[in-house]
Amino acid sequence: MARTAFKQHNLGTVVGFEFMRTIKKRGFVIATLAIPVVFAIIFALVYASNSSTEANADAQKNSALTFTYTDASGLIPAPLAEAAGGSLTTNPGAALEAVKNGSSEAYFAYPANPATEPVKVYGADKGMFENGKYEAVAKHLLVTAAQSRVNAPEVTAALSGEVTFDAETYRDGRVAGGIGSVIPPLVFLVIFYVSMILLSNQMLNSTLEEKENRVTEMILTTLNPTTLVTGKIISLFAVGLLQITVFLAPIAAAYLLFRDSVALPDLDLSSLVFEPVPMITGALLLLGGFTLFTGVLVAIGAIMPTAKEAGTIFGPLMALIFVPFYAVSLIISDPTALIVQVFTYFPLTAPVTALLRNGFGTLGAVESAIVIAEVFIVGILILRLAVHLFRYGSIEYGRKLSIAGTFRRKELTAK
Amino acid sequence: MTLGDAVEPLVHIKDFRMDFGETTVVKDLSFDVRAGETFGFLGSNGSGKTTTLRALLGIYQPTAGTLHIGGKVFEPRDGARLGYLPEERGLYKKEAVLDVMVYFGRLKGLSKHGARAWSQTYLERVGLADKAAVRLDKLSGGQQQKVQLGVTIMNDPDLLILDEPTKGFDPVNRRLLMDIIEEQKLAGATVIMVTHQMEEVERLCDRVILLKDGTARAYGTVAEVQDQFGGTVYRLGYEGILPASDLYDVVRDGDGHAELAPAVGADETAVLRELIGAGVAVRSFATARASLEEIFIQVYGEQHEMAEV
Repeated sequence: MARTAFKQHNLGTVVGFEFMRTIKKRGFVIATLAIPVVFAIIFALVYASNSSTEANADAQKNSALTFTYTDASGLIPAPLAEAAGGSLTTNPGAALEAVKNGSSEAYFAYPANPATEPVKVYGADKGMFENGKYEAVAKHLLVTAAQSRVNAPEVTAALSGEVTFDAETYRDGRVAGGIGSVIPPLVFLVIFYVSMILLSNQMLNSTLEEKENRVTEMILTTLNPTTLVTGKIISLFAVGLLQITVFLAPIAAAYLLFRDSVALPDLDLSSLVFEPVPMITGALLLLGGFTLFTGVLVAIGAIMPTAKEAGTIFGPLMALIFVPFYAVSLIISDPTALIVQVFTYFPLTAPVTALLRNGFGTLGAVESAIVIAEVFIVGILILRLAVHLFRYGSIEYGRKLSIAGTFRRKELTAK
Repeated sequence: MTLGDAVEPLVHIKDFRMDFGETTVVKDLSFDVRAGETFGFLGSNGSGKTTTLRALLGIYQPTAGTLHIGGKVFEPRDGARLGYLPEERGLYKKEAVLDVMVYFGRLKGLSKHGARAWSQTYLERVGLADKAAVRLDKLSGGQQQKVQLGVTIMNDPDLLILDEPTKGFDPVNRRLLMDIIEEQKLAGATVIMVTHQMEEVERLCDRVILLKDGTARAYGTVAEVQDQFGGTVYRLGYEGILPASDLYDVVRDGDGHAELAPAVGADETAVLRELIGAGVAVRSFATARASLEEIFIQVYGEQHEMAEV
């Protein structure tokens, strides 16, 4: 065979191989497609339920309620009550008896002073949900009667609290974004959680696989371990993006095409404020946090002989990304509290805590700079350690690696 | 640049020492492997062969010494010119045979099309053409070995390092493997082979090194090692009972045939006289070199006996 000068193109090869073999796995396909299928089923059920609800509402609207009532307050105008299906009675006992024996649907007894005494509502039992309409009709009749008496809808609305408020706050002389400015930076926190939940297990197993399959020696004599680990991380990121796209596709389709039918809330995107500093800070914290946790998981994979043993460390580690939520109220309301400060600067809780504080506007510029620098520096150091451990540790088939041992060996070489 | 362009021998190991904690596994080991030769790396289990190869390939960090391939310390980017079949076999077991071969071909610098074409031709040759799309863990151990060998040689390596290549092969496939190694050798590859199959060494190897307890016990061409270590033996056909004697050691005995290793200063005449004098009916008598297997047993038998004591 002819001996040719070969050109190596390994990073792309590793990324392609790792990506393709992940997405071709039956388990991955099932797990990834299961979410959109579940969404589609939920949307279909909501759609069917909404159609049924609308039909029921129409039926209720068409079948008017008939009732009798007594009015000691004198607030209820007779024409208004008649229009709603009511007829005035002077005999409360007979009216109640008629409800009891089923010859009347309902009887409302309006007291002399509805502000201090309850309105008595009696009705034929029509099930938990249908029974609610008696009270609704009695209340609606009273409110409408009061409104007609005041003859000023704005007064009635103010009294009943049915008024909308539009608040505006100022920071540094400019209108602050309010909740609209909190949501966009918090999206980075959501992305961080989703990527960790979806990819952490794969990160852990990515280097364990070489060890468990005894393929390390073949790899280490063909490929720089940094290239291998980098390729694996890039492919995992690509896999995560694919999964998120597949998950969001049915929601996006439902939002754009069947928004009303599936009762999705109508997002007012114009109220969102994308302030550059929190957005850039959020993006950097996300990237740094991802680097940090990837490094830690790859390092665990390099140290532990099997996935089962790695799982004993993996669980507590993943719990650390949820720990800041125990102090979420303090994180939002009192960022100077000791526990918040500890969570902000302890590397494994820093990304989540800082992302939360960044979203709620309590992370100062200096703190941001320190935390971003910290997660990137620690993340890169741990990634380098992970590559080192893989380089000198993955050959320790079936044995837990001594980290000190790998460095001791290197020191001896340097002598 | 190919691995063989350097002025010094293709593989150069000098004063290599390897410690694991307090244990010294290899000490002061020095040897060269010349470009184009087939080199036998011999030794009993635990003598330091695999450790030496791993240190040579940068998998282990040596405690001391120089380990060069092509005049420099090996780096993974030189892997395009290397074929390494490790003692610990393994590939991505849950992937299809062809996918794994193409992946390694790509890592070694072949084009995707080139790697696929080479792999299909190889699988055809070793009788696994119908397994190309099958997951590796669905193959038998021997079939997996064949795939791994294919991955090892698919880049036409300048240097082929095979750590116990016949382990797990039946006699038919062992023959196939030996043919493939010979082809690589004829194509110009330098071969380093760790094996316990002495007949393979005698058939294929130009030079050998015998390792015991991490040190070299013999080193040179096969003939030199036979002379250096085993010297000559007397092959004997006889009837009767062989007597014990200071003139020789009985290396092998059975079914009327024996091999005697003469003591220093003992010659054929003295040995024959001793046998006949003891009443042994000698039917045939010839002088020969000790086989590598005899030397191996002689060297490592001492260790075994000491271990038993």
